Amino acid sequence: MLPVVLVVAFSAVIPLMTVVNYSLQDIFDPETPLFVGFEWYRETLRDPRFMAALVRQLGFSAAVLAIEVPLGILIARSLPREGRLAPVFLVVIAVPLLIPWNVVGTIWQIFARPDIGLLGASIAKLGLEFNYTSSVVDAWITLLLMDVWHWTSLVALLVYAGLASIQAPYYQAAELDGASRWQVFRYVELPRLRSVLVIAVLLRLMDSFMIYTEPFVLTGGGPGNATTFLSQHLTIMAVGQFDLGPAAAFSVLYFLLIVLMCWLFYSSVMREDEQ
Amino acid sequence: MTRIVLENVSHRYAQAQADTLTGVNMEVPAGQAHALLGSSGSGKTTLLNVLSGLEAPSGGRVLFDGRDVSRIPPRSRNVSQVFQFPVLYESLTVVENLEFPLKVRRVPGPERRRRAVAIAERLSVADLLGAKPAALSLFEKQLVAIGRALVRPEISVVLLDEPLTAVEPATKWQLRRVLKSVQAELGATMIYVTHDQTEALTFAESISVLHEGGILQTGSAETLFNRPSHEHVAHFIGSPGMNLLRGEITDGAYRIAGQAVAPASGLAAGPCTVGFRPEWAVAVRRAGNPQAHGLPARVTALRLLGTRHGQPVGVVTAQLGGAQISLRQVLDVEPGEEVLVQIQGERVIGFRDGWRLSTGAGPSGRGASYPSA
Repeated sequence: MLPVVLVVAFSAVIPLMTVVNYSLQDIFDPETPLFVGFEWYRETLRDPRFMAALVRQLGFSAAVLAIEVPLGILIARSLPREGRLAPVFLVVIAVPLLIPWNVVGTIWQIFARPDIGLLGASIAKLGLEFNYTSSVVDAWITLLLMDVWHWTSLVALLVYAGLASIQAPYYQAAELDGASRWQVFRYVELPRLRSVLVIAVLLRLMDSFMIYTEPFVLTGGGPGNATTFLSQHLTIMAVGQFDLGPAAAFSVLYFLLIVLMCWLFYSSVMREDEQ
Repeated sequence: MTRIVLENVSHRYAQAQADTLTGVNMEVPAGQAHALLGSSGSGKTTLLNVLSGLEAPSGGRVLFDGRDVSRIPPRSRNVSQVFQFPVLYESLTVVENLEFPLKVRRVPGPERRRRAVAIAERLSVADLLGAKPAALSLFEKQLVAIGRALVRPEISVVLLDEPLTAVEPATKWQLRRVLKSVQAELGATMIYVTHDQTEALTFAESISVLHEGGILQTGSAETLFNRPSHEHVAHFIGSPGMNLLRGEITDGAYRIAGQAVAPASGLAAGPCTVGFRPEWAVAVRRAGNPQAHGLPARVTALRLLGTRHGQPVGVVTAQLGGAQISLRQVLDVEPGEEVLVQIQGERVIGFRDGWRLSTGAGPSGRGASYPSA
């Protein structure tokens, strides 16, 4: 037990406690901390840039979930369950998940460029204005496309595994009942997918809420701060400005926010189960 | 309810090397309780899938009331099935589960409710109507599954795929009784597939024995027991099954190890298999019984099954020549004893190449698909 405790303490608990400690201090330099209580927390919550970043973040996570979950289900249902091609399909859709995140950002940075990017140039050829460095809407669209391309496969693979666990007689009984494709989805597949979907949504919710690398590489947070989400804002504060106190407070708030959202989602699902 | 006929049905799965079903002929009159008895791998599930329409047969025809339905999809055949484990819609309540087949066919609400409640009452699950499947026992869930299979009025046939498999052993007999009484009351054509002969023999009026993709014999329990047309049927039916010994027909008699055991007039001489059921022979002790006749054997084991008129009865296992036989009798012999086995000659059945030898007509039992011996 002791080695585990030591490792966890060293790598997680002590750093976390240090951050909490910093969040309550004003750090001029590592030797001169000044206890300020909850002042950084109050200031952060009043900071309009923090609020703006939070709103953008919530919007991004909501959009991402709204697109990726149904799309993932759709893809999973279209994949073949058996036969020699099934593993091929699975590998192909898993490929985006294997690409390093900064490379994902770079791929899309070039892909969406209106001069040399395949997507950007094609859109320009159609006569449409598309520039993700200058237009806020275009930046968001590119960002969402990139995330959907990157992560939908995760939802699809999880749902695929969930579907594979449904035994044949359930489909046979529905066929004998004369159920339509939609009824089969709603009454045979969806109930069995609940636990899988809870995991998929939790993972995407947490991951999208802490997203950093891809938007940073793609847009750098721009144009302006149109795509600056919480993580980037925090990084600017902590690493760029070396404002450890407010950054620590921000970190703690960020952490609590993610935990709160996941807990709310999970407990509402569990409560439904009990009914 | 519908009359079901399978006409020379054969089936081979896409990647398979051999036919899973080979020329099956079967006829089930409307309203009959019919059992398909066969061990694992005999083709039972494939036959069920051909009947329900989940598989279209590679050869032959499936006829419902004379209409060829071989290529008609399951949803248009009005067939329902009860599976080995209760297959219910987990997110719907019991009454919604019962109503589902009707809802799909756009039966109006009040009529749906009426039929669902009626079938629930018939199966004694009316007090569970508002519950979800997760709250029910396996027995109750299977009752609801049976209800789902019976709720549609225009059902042609109910298929049952070993429906007692998942139910707790203590409630198997209850479920069997419910099935039998519901079948008799509703006059439903039911085809019950199983590997358990007790289930088949107690449920069905007529039983088809399936072996390696073909039906060996169809008949009542009594026919299969007393006049099996194939060695496999003879050995499979009965507990224990028929004793089958190597013998021959010489000079108009069945002989085992040279000794005559039964008349065989009119049958061609030559080697054959001599069969007799454990109930049709008795072992008497040799010692102190000089007048006794019979085939010499040695008792190897006894199995007590109960008493009759105060005497212990059970199964005697004995070694006769090179073969092991079973006898059902009063246990008045001891293991290790030398005995003489006396067989009721008039009940002996001979087999050659697996098929029963008989004078006159070939293998009896309708639906036999093998050539007569």
